[in-house]
Amino acid sequence: MFGQRVRSLVGLAVARVAGRFRIAPQRVLLAVLGVGVAVGLMVSVTGVSLGLASQSVVQSDGVDYWLVPEQASVESIAISTGGPRLGDVHRTSQQIGTDDRVDYVTPVLLELVPVRDATTGDRTYVFAVGVVPEPDQTVLDLPAGRLAPGDPYYQNGSYNGPWTGEAILNNAAATVTNASTGSQLTPVGTNRSMTVVNVSDGGVGTAGGGVPVMLVHLSELQELTGSTSGDTADQLLVSTNDPSVKSSLEGRYPETTVVTRSGLSSQRVSASNLPLAVAVAALVSAVVVGVLFVTTLMGLEVSADRQQLGALAGIGFSQRSRSLLVAAETLIISILGGIVGVGIGILGIVGVNGLGEQYFGVDTVAVFEPQLAGYALLVAVGIGLVGALYPVWLSRRGNVLEVLA
Amino acid sequence: MANTSIAPEPTADRAPAVTADSVVREYTRGNTGVFGQKDAPTVRALDGVSMAVTRGDVVGIAGPSGSGKSTLLHLLAGLDVPTRGTVTIDGDDIASLSQRQRARLRLNNVGIVFQRFHLLDALSARANVALPLVEQGESKRDRRQRAETLLDSVDLGDRATHKPGQLSGGEQQRVAIARALATEPALLVADEPTGELDSATGDQVLDLLVDVADEQAVVLASHDQQALDVCDLVIHLQDGTIVRRE
Repeated sequence: MFGQRVRSLVGLAVARVAGRFRIAPQRVLLAVLGVGVAVGLMVSVTGVSLGLASQSVVQSDGVDYWLVPEQASVESIAISTGGPRLGDVHRTSQQIGTDDRVDYVTPVLLELVPVRDATTGDRTYVFAVGVVPEPDQTVLDLPAGRLAPGDPYYQNGSYNGPWTGEAILNNAAATVTNASTGSQLTPVGTNRSMTVVNVSDGGVGTAGGGVPVMLVHLSELQELTGSTSGDTADQLLVSTNDPSVKSSLEGRYPETTVVTRSGLSSQRVSASNLPLAVAVAALVSAVVVGVLFVTTLMGLEVSADRQQLGALAGIGFSQRSRSLLVAAETLIISILGGIVGVGIGILGIVGVNGLGEQYFGVDTVAVFEPQLAGYALLVAVGIGLVGALYPVWLSRRGNVLEVLA
Repeated sequence: MANTSIAPEPTADRAPAVTADSVVREYTRGNTGVFGQKDAPTVRALDGVSMAVTRGDVVGIAGPSGSGKSTLLHLLAGLDVPTRGTVTIDGDDIASLSQRQRARLRLNNVGIVFQRFHLLDALSARANVALPLVEQGESKRDRRQRAETLLDSVDLGDRATHKPGQLSGGEQQRVAIARALATEPALLVADEPTGELDSATGDQVLDLLVDVADEQAVVLASHDQQALDVCDLVIHLQDGTIVRRE
């Protein structure tokens, strides 16, 4: 019976809120809009913080998924630690690349390689990254497109194609090896040499700034490091705009994980706390503003509704039931505000991205994830619960005799 | 305390739905809180009133403004408790009950008809009638069935889905009476039930109240002679005491 009563009271609350929209909508609309704007701003700002977080990830431009061995964590993507590797990667990446939804795919081999200093001949280490480049592609913010396209040394399943010996260094690598464009670097223990074709600013981004990186063709790095047997690499980078690709990547290899570049999880790979701080600040602001709106307007609503609440008391509604009724009404209005807020937030994200593209040439400043909608509704529920305290208190103060007199 | 009580004897086969025994109700004027006056003056609204009403009786309470009509009605409805004396509703002394228990007692044993109807604007006539059943935890189907039966009984079956704003004053008062009867209470209390109605509509409402008195005890407070004329007994109050019974 208690459950039936609570359900009926919630139904009554819904009917009363709907009635208010019909009879005197101003205050209710204002409350819904107030929560909506607060939640909407939170969604937009959180979207921006997600965007910030995803941009600080070690990545190739436009790469949306990593296919990595299960034992590798998101945090270990940037640096190879000699763990399990993926095999037969040239053929697999070629197969993945035949999918129209995929813009670009490359295996990535990560190795620490000792090289001779270009000037002194001293031995030093660089972090070698082997990829299959395509024109205009960047990997680790380095212009992989400056390497000869494809992987010429790997031909028909054999390592007997033309050796390009091309390498792109980041500034840190150029500094430690005393190299510049045109310099020759010799990996220790081999009779091969690498020619520096470009020195750039890129590298391992915010997660590992200062690491000397040398970008080379995959097959050449495999040859230099003895990874030709089994055609192994540490991961596959897949660039796509279609999220449905993820499911087709899953199961491509046994015991592998597909990691999303952007999204809520990407905060885990951000070395900076700024995105999190921004998101938390947005949450706190939304809760404070939303609660103030709901509290004030529902307080006014309860004051205006004293006679009807008094009548309910008169006919035998207990104080608990009336409190539940007022709390449910406040919660309903907050949830409606949350739904409106999700819409406002999406519009905000679209607007921010539009402005970013127009004025800064950045196509994705803010990111919207479906989970954000759930998050916004949860926050709206929180706003409703906290915001209900004052209206409920106010509704308990009324004297039924004063009201009915 | 003036002993001016006039208590109709309860009929032998029926226990009183409501009794008042030497009831005194005093109110304190001004603020008596922490920063208020210590010896704030009190006003005695009722002074030694006794009465009893059994099912089947229609009792009117008459008197000029300030005579204590509303105060007595509120006590009989269980909305207030006496300063001294005893009010019992269906045998329960209301002063001994917690606020929650009194709300429950009102819900189950008392139907109240307000002068200004106090229907919920947002709800249909049917939903308004079913309100007490919501608090009783009745199922939606039972509530709907009961509300429609009651609306039929007050000739408003065809207005079940109308909102109060779409009903005339008389129709709203009939909906209010149907709501008051929803839990089949022992006692129906009406405060100026014809106060907001024209004479013809008032007549209809009064007829309805008299009809329901077969099952319920009815107490109504009114200035309106037309309303008092339908009562089996009229208690006249003046300065908080019963001065006459007709």
